[in-house]
Amino acid sequence: MVKFTAEELRRIMDYKHNIRNMSVIAHVDHGKSTLTDSLVAAAGIIAQEVAGDVRMTDTRADEAERGITIKSTGISLYYEMTDEALKSYKGERNGNEYLINLIDSPGHVDFSSEVTAALRITDGALVVVDCIEGVCVQTETVLRQALGERIRPVLTVNKMDRCFLELQVDGEEAYQTFQRVIENANVIMATYEDPLLGDVQVYPEKGTVAFSAGLHGWAFTLTNFAKMYASKFGVDESKMMERLWGENYFDPATKKWTSKNTGSATCKRGFVQFCYEPIKQIINTCMNDQKDKLWPMLTKLGVTMKSDEKELMGKGLMKRVMQTWLPASSALLEMMIFHLPSPSTAQRYRVENLYEGPLDDQYANAIRNCDPEGPLMLYVSKMIPASDKGRFFAFGRVFAGKVQTGLKVRIMGPNFVPGEKKDLYVKNVQRTVIWMGKKQETVEDVPCGNTVALVGLDQFITKNATLTNEKEVDAHPIRAMKFSVSPVVRVAVQCKVASDLPKLVEGLKRLAKSDPMVVCSIEESGEHIIAGAGELHLEICLKDLQDDFMGGAEIIKSDPVVSFRETVLEKSSRTVMSKSPNKHNRLYMEARPLEEGLPEAIDDGRIGPRDDPKIRSKILAEEFGWDKDLAKKIWCFGPETTGPNMVVDMCKGVQYLNEIKDSVVAGFQWASKEGALAEENMRGICFEVCDVVLHADAIHRGGGQVIPTARRVIYASQLTAKPRLLEPVYLVEIQAPEQALGGIYSVLNQKRGHVFEEMQRPGTPLYNIKAYLPVIESFGFSGQLRASTSGQAFPQCVFDHWEMMSSDPLETGSQASQLVTDIRKRKGLKEQMTPLSEFEDKL
Amino acid sequence: MDLESNYEIAPTAEFIQSNKFTRVALQFPDELLKDAVRVVSALRAKLRTLRESNAEQNDDAPEVGLFVMADTAYGSCCVDEVGASHVDADAVVHYGHTCLSPTSTLPAFFVFGKTPISVPDCVKNLSHYAFPNGRRVLVLFGLDYAHSIQNIREKFAEVCGAESKPEVQYANVICSVMNPSKGRKVSNKVQGTSGSLTDNNSFGTVSANTYSIGGLVWKLPEGHKMDDYLLFWIGSNNSAFANIVLTYNGCEIVRYDASECSMVTDLSQQRKILKRRYYLMEKAKDANIVGILVGTLGVAGYLNMIHQMKVLITGAGKKVYTLVMGRPNPAKLANFPECDIFIYVSCAQTALLDSKEYLAPVITPFEAMLAFNRGCQWTGEYVMEFRDLINSSPVESRNFSEEARFSFLQGGYVEDFDPQGNGTEEDKEGALALANATEKVLQLRDNPNSIVKGTAKSGAEFLATRSYQGLDIHYDGSLPEPYFIGRSGRAAGYEDEKNGHEKS
Repeated sequence: MVKFTAEELRRIMDYKHNIRNMSVIAHVDHGKSTLTDSLVAAAGIIAQEVAGDVRMTDTRADEAERGITIKSTGISLYYEMTDEALKSYKGERNGNEYLINLIDSPGHVDFSSEVTAALRITDGALVVVDCIEGVCVQTETVLRQALGERIRPVLTVNKMDRCFLELQVDGEEAYQTFQRVIENANVIMATYEDPLLGDVQVYPEKGTVAFSAGLHGWAFTLTNFAKMYASKFGVDESKMMERLWGENYFDPATKKWTSKNTGSATCKRGFVQFCYEPIKQIINTCMNDQKDKLWPMLTKLGVTMKSDEKELMGKGLMKRVMQTWLPASSALLEMMIFHLPSPSTAQRYRVENLYEGPLDDQYANAIRNCDPEGPLMLYVSKMIPASDKGRFFAFGRVFAGKVQTGLKVRIMGPNFVPGEKKDLYVKNVQRTVIWMGKKQETVEDVPCGNTVALVGLDQFITKNATLTNEKEVDAHPIRAMKFSVSPVVRVAVQCKVASDLPKLVEGLKRLAKSDPMVVCSIEESGEHIIAGAGELHLEICLKDLQDDFMGGAEIIKSDPVVSFRETVLEKSSRTVMSKSPNKHNRLYMEARPLEEGLPEAIDDGRIGPRDDPKIRSKILAEEFGWDKDLAKKIWCFGPETTGPNMVVDMCKGVQYLNEIKDSVVAGFQWASKEGALAEENMRGICFEVCDVVLHADAIHRGGGQVIPTARRVIYASQLTAKPRLLEPVYLVEIQAPEQALGGIYSVLNQKRGHVFEEMQRPGTPLYNIKAYLPVIESFGFSGQLRASTSGQAFPQCVFDHWEMMSSDPLETGSQASQLVTDIRKRKGLKEQMTPLSEFEDKL
Repeated sequence: MDLESNYEIAPTAEFIQSNKFTRVALQFPDELLKDAVRVVSALRAKLRTLRESNAEQNDDAPEVGLFVMADTAYGSCCVDEVGASHVDADAVVHYGHTCLSPTSTLPAFFVFGKTPISVPDCVKNLSHYAFPNGRRVLVLFGLDYAHSIQNIREKFAEVCGAESKPEVQYANVICSVMNPSKGRKVSNKVQGTSGSLTDNNSFGTVSANTYSIGGLVWKLPEGHKMDDYLLFWIGSNNSAFANIVLTYNGCEIVRYDASECSMVTDLSQQRKILKRRYYLMEKAKDANIVGILVGTLGVAGYLNMIHQMKVLITGAGKKVYTLVMGRPNPAKLANFPECDIFIYVSCAQTALLDSKEYLAPVITPFEAMLAFNRGCQWTGEYVMEFRDLINSSPVESRNFSEEARFSFLQGGYVEDFDPQGNGTEEDKEGALALANATEKVLQLRDNPNSIVKGTAKSGAEFLATRSYQGLDIHYDGSLPEPYFIGRSGRAAGYEDEKNGHEKS
């Protein structure tokens, strides 16, 4: 039962003020997909009766099976407002028809890269919070991400049905719970406030908070009730709305509003009196099948039921009645239309977050004005597997101009640098497609402000890209997305049958495309590696790889592998020296740990090779206590020229030093990528070049002599500075009832985890536990946790930091030395570490 | 074992005498150099007696000049023809381990040496593998064990007796004499691609079920595949064995270590090599600048190979430089930091360099072919001898799919040169290369720290990104330094040094 055709939809796409691009974000299991379904139901793609039972946006079999969303799914919805409803709408509009491009995203933290991709192409977010569980860790993460992208949020307090049916709480208690949920959300929003975005906090009395029951398909905002009562009390709607929230009490006996509870039995809070109680009454009447009482009540509310619906009983009846009275779709859609920005509004302030180039060029202006006549600016945020095997749709958002079938576009990949030809392709768009539920419809063109899927570009885009017109050679790309999770868990895969290797290679390529986060790479030892955010993520990736991308060819996977980092604990015990192969050149170096916080600053890009040296030395001097002059003598960062290690020149008056700088840098890049302990990357080490003795003849101090020597002396200085391993550590957040706490603690203890925060959620029997857990111990953690708490605890793990392992890897038999041996064995290296004497020379 | 038989003095003398060679180079590997003097005197004595016995026929025959060659420029397994031509030799006698790569100009006589082996123990082990599973076994061996293969063969036949004979095949040594000039006459093939042998056994891995590798040759019965066989290797774990393991990586392989009289069945280390090569091949795909290392001046067809590699690499849109140097070592190659990868053109047994110590990896021509040929895939097949590559035409499957190349090192699509259509642009670029490079220098002055290895497309671009680019032209001291006369003469003794020596 499709209510609209592609042509109809295409027509509205031109009304840029009547478009809302929004994503649905929340903690896992707070009911995003279910709520989305009820919205889809209203847009008429699936029949109203099945809404709530079929998760429309969970298109994959494993999503349905596990009951979680894995991939984000986009749907276009169509909603027509009445003039009556729009009379208080102040913004620009173009008729009463609205197009809502909605993206349902996964809540599990392992898939939060999908959320990032969804946020990029939307302007607003519907934040769903479970009214009982409240604001959870993932709610906070996604909210932070959303505000970072300048996405305006609205909130819905979901699972209202639990209040009425499961917990049977009374009005005042429920109000307190809701109030707390909203307050918690507002605290987070206030923390990440952005002046350009303005006040992003949500207020029920302003209509930016909805109350919903996704499962039963009903929802309301205070607007609904305010409209109902406004005429009755003879006040205008906005006044009424204010009375329906906060410290406003009404006593029907005296018919007076007060700002304090008068204490009389009939005096109740406005919200309780006029919103909560009526709903409770209706639900109770339905559940008890008191139909004789029900019909008059419904008539009073102006709700008419069809005759066959009147035959329903109990829960079915309740659902039907509530859906008719307070349909979720109209409450939520109207809230979005009223309070979320249209593309033309949003792009005005988002442009500086989006565009990398100068903010006054024609591309920035076209984005700012959401100009359909301007040059094409389109950001592809993810690749969606198409039904024909091996091909992908490039899914993204048009920020300016129009994209049409057959258009020749410039594809600027993530490594594109303006003015160069690197990572740049010019190709034709074969088809432009829009999504309508499970159906895809081809359209001639798509104007700015809309989401779109493109066919025929998948062989040139790995994960994301910026598209523009062929001729627009001076356009800069749209800024790459920043993910809140990092791929720290890795497995090596190989095929069972050696001759399947080409299939595996092809499969990995497709896997890399299908997921914004997964990294498919190859190790020095020749093993193919898949890296993901967590165990679940990897599991899904491996399944996809084998079943979808390799046509069922069998693969063997290794145990999960965690990568470590090598660092040093102290300054080198002495200045070490290495001689070049021809013995004519000598390099003297020392290693020392970088100041606390400095590696992170380098990771975040606050300090890096491309900084202005003045700014860099200012930061280093002020925040990290460096000597101003020294800060100017940083030779390079590494590995990969940007990593969190550096070489600093401490020599004085050495001849020819400038000549060997490149060679030392090359040797450092190489050495910092493969540390002396287990050839893992180095982290947080500063190498100081103390002295250099060079041969007077240029030919004898060339790269061939200096590069290997620099590498050796770096290793020697690392080994003399108490080398240590760093292991990755997860931040685990667990929410569980009190009786499960014992089990949680014992599992965490077994796994070398430690709890650093335990907090009871006010008003609930639930506890929030935050702990650190080494990634290497996290395999099987959630299973074990579920087993020992009889399924009451569900952990969310996010990579948090690198932690130094206290044991000395140079001491045989220590835990760290065992680890080093294991890593070396896996990498096919000599099990014994190369001794210091191999790297250090004596005069 | 005595010197006479170990160094095959008599057959060598016979070879020299019968071919009427007058200047013969004797090539010794380092480990046999200690015997060189004794070998020479034994050989000289033998030649003298031979000449005396033939004296009546031609008494004016000059005495044969024998020259000892040591410290070969490349692998000591190949015949050092360049070294031999320095003394104007007309034949080479090669001692010790060899890869039996065909020579291009000089005839060569190979003396493999004879390593003792316990035949009964070897036969016992062989039967252990041949009997129970009834599988086909192929016996391969290091050339220094060639002398006792006949013995093993007979003993094994005895052990089997009348019982159902297990299928055991034995490889043969191709020959111990190589004569390129004769071979060329016999088979005038494509530009000396196959310096044929005296017995006209063509090289090439497969020719009608005849296989040949590292000087060994064997013929399989019709319809048998190599994968059906268990390879039984007699000899040490050397480069010849590594060659076998990589080439026949689909076969089950066991090794009998004759010096320790034990079986070695764990070959995981060798298997790891193959995977490592696969990684290097993937890495090569990302290279922009490729260095071809000329690792031989003797093996027939090396020039063709280098030429073919150049065509291949330029065809893939990469820059290529050819470097001639002796045996590569990390310090030598690090003098060319602009190269992202090196291709080592050499004989099969020196080709595999474990390049862990090298700044840039070193790969074989075969790996280069896989890496730089779009559409070629790593199937597990592995070819070591570059002569086999020349014949297999590299440009057969140029069915370019439009798709950009996916790099597993970077985990995404990387730009790639489009061989069609970009021609004109490329030319233009050539003309503008200098201008571009200069422009880059100007840009890069601001942030000298941005040397990212692997982004430069040519040596000139790489130089432009270096912080030190040679002598400073803006040298402040405007007054010229007064000149003074330097030393002259040779490094062995400069003229001023010589004077001092005479005085003292």
